[in-house]
This record gives sequence, C-alpha cells and structure tokens, in this order.
Amino acid sequence: MQQTALQIYVSSNDWVWALWQIIHFVGMSLVVGIVGTLDLRILGLFKNIPIAAFRPLVPWAVVGFVCNLVTGIFFVAGKLPGPSYYTENLSFRLKMLFVLLAAGNLIIFQLTGLERRVYATAAGGNAPATAKAVAAFSLVAWMLIIFFGRIMQYNDTLLMFLGL
Amino acid sequence: MLDYLQNLALANWVRSSPSLFAYSSVLAAHAVGLGIVVGLNTLVALRLLGVAPGIPLTALRQLYGVIWVGFGINLVSGLLLFIAEAHTMATMAAFLVKMLFVVFGMIVAELLKHFYFTDVASVQAGVVTRVGRNLAIISLVCWYIALIAGRLTAYPDMVNGWLHLTGGGS
Repeated sequence: MQQTALQIYVSSNDWVWALWQIIHFVGMSLVVGIVGTLDLRILGLFKNIPIAAFRPLVPWAVVGFVCNLVTGIFFVAGKLPGPSYYTENLSFRLKMLFVLLAAGNLIIFQLTGLERRVYATAAGGNAPATAKAVAAFSLVAWMLIIFFGRIMQYNDTLLMFLGL
Repeated sequence: MLDYLQNLALANWVRSSPSLFAYSSVLAAHAVGLGIVVGLNTLVALRLLGVAPGIPLTALRQLYGVIWVGFGINLVSGLLLFIAEAHTMATMAAFLVKMLFVVFGMIVAELLKHFYFTDVASVQAGVVTRVGRNLAIISLVCWYIALIAGRLTAYPDMVNGWLHLTGGGS
C-alpha cells in the first residue's frame, strides 16, 4: 500500500505519536474536568455555586475538545497500515457514536433554550429537571467515550465479550 | 517482593485473562480516574489563577470529594495494573517519576483543601492570595508532569533511549 507523507513521518519519529497521545490526554482532562463538574452542579451537587459562574471555563473545555479532534484526526490519518485500523474497530465506532450523541445532547441543550435557563440558576437553586436528564446523559456519554477510547487497543477482547 | 506480587493469582488474572473486565477495563477505569483527578485539580487551579471568578472560593472545597473518588478509582486500578507487571513498572523511569508527582500533586491538593480553603479571612472575602496562586501553579505542574510521565510508561524503549539506558522496559 502507498504510504502517505504523514504515515511515513509518524513511523520514523516515535516521539510524534507519544506527543499526540499526551495532548489527547490533556484535552480529555480539560473536557472531563469542566463538563463533568458542570454536569454534577446541574444534577444538584455544589449548589452554592451559581451555574453561570462556570461559563468562563467553557472555552477551556472547547480548547480541550478541539485538541482532541485534531490529534484524533492525526491518529486516524497517521496510523499504519491505514485508517481502517480505526474505522473497522468496534470500540472506535462506539466511541465516535457517543461523541456524536454527546454533541447532539449539547445541541438540544442549546437549541431548546435549556442552556439559558440553566445559566439563570442562582447559587442554591435547582436546575430544571430536563437539564438534569441532559447532564446525566452527558456524564455517562463522556465516561463511555473514555472507556471505548482506551479499549480500542483491546478490540478483540471487546468482540469476544460481546460474542462477536 | 516484586516476584511475589507478580505471581499473585489476581496479578495473573489482570495480566492474562481474556475477560473484558481484566487488563483492558482496569486500564479504561484508570483513564476515567485520570480525567477526574487531573481535570478537577485543573479546574480548581484555573479558578485560583483568575478564570471564572464567579465561583465562590468557599465552594471549591467540595470538589475534593470528587477528586478523592477519582483518586480512589486510580489507586485501585493502578495497584492492579502495577502488580500485573510489577517488575517492568518498578524499574521504569517514567513510572517512578509519575508516582513522585502524583504524591506531590495529592500533597498540594490536601494543602489547598485543609489549609488554604479553610483560611477563612481571605477565602470568605473572595481574595486569592499569593500563596493560593503559587499552590495553583505548583498543582498544575505536578499533575501535568504526572500525566505526561504516565503516558510515557507506554513507550519505555523511547524513554530509555532519551536517558541513554538500555533494557528496563518491556
């Protein structure tokens, strides 16, 4: 198979893959730390924090997500023998499914005006019940995204577990 | 001692069981715990460094409950991963550096929790003192060194090459 310049570069510089991995884990920590804490607040923990106070942290989570989108694309494009290593991997597909579901969840959160109502929740206040459902879904989705991300390397184990 | 750990039935199971709940899930749990511990410590540090000033300083103390849940997940999963490959890990430079900075990071977290956030005068007034900012920076340095070193445990040959060492890693 014809190798791309990126694949050749990655395979001849082992630090490149390690660096992308490090960036991917840093981005993951930013997303989970900020989105996860916001989700927990919406669910009713740390009630003495007004929810709008989390707002300035959101761009940091977005930066984390973009880091992971970019490094994630590099992983798929740079892997030998080719992108099929990922695209045919069930764990990868499940991870992407939950990334899309988390994105859809976020779009619902914003388009239905739920986000505005959530940010209006003062210290001590309760977020709307629908927002709690969205937050719970977000928490579960991000945990599964990490889980399937890490299990990709052991795809055969997952397939055997599922009897596939 | 390392032989003893590595030969435990539990170590054998983690290392070689084909079950999804053995090595792969323990590793996945370790990544979830990492996200919680590093992510929440980062959030606390960002607040102390001036991001999101609307979060009351007095409220940050509650986040340590969640940090400890993440740390608990990683202590248990980390011990399982360690005994599975005790010899390899105990002699790996990146692993030892990681352990050192995890300990430093937790000490800084405990200092913040028990001494800084209970320093009622400044915290109640919502003022971040120089001590608070310095601890935030030290916390970030510790956790990101621990994260980087932890990730590098997957590349022992590369790290040994940098350190001009031979052998060691798997």
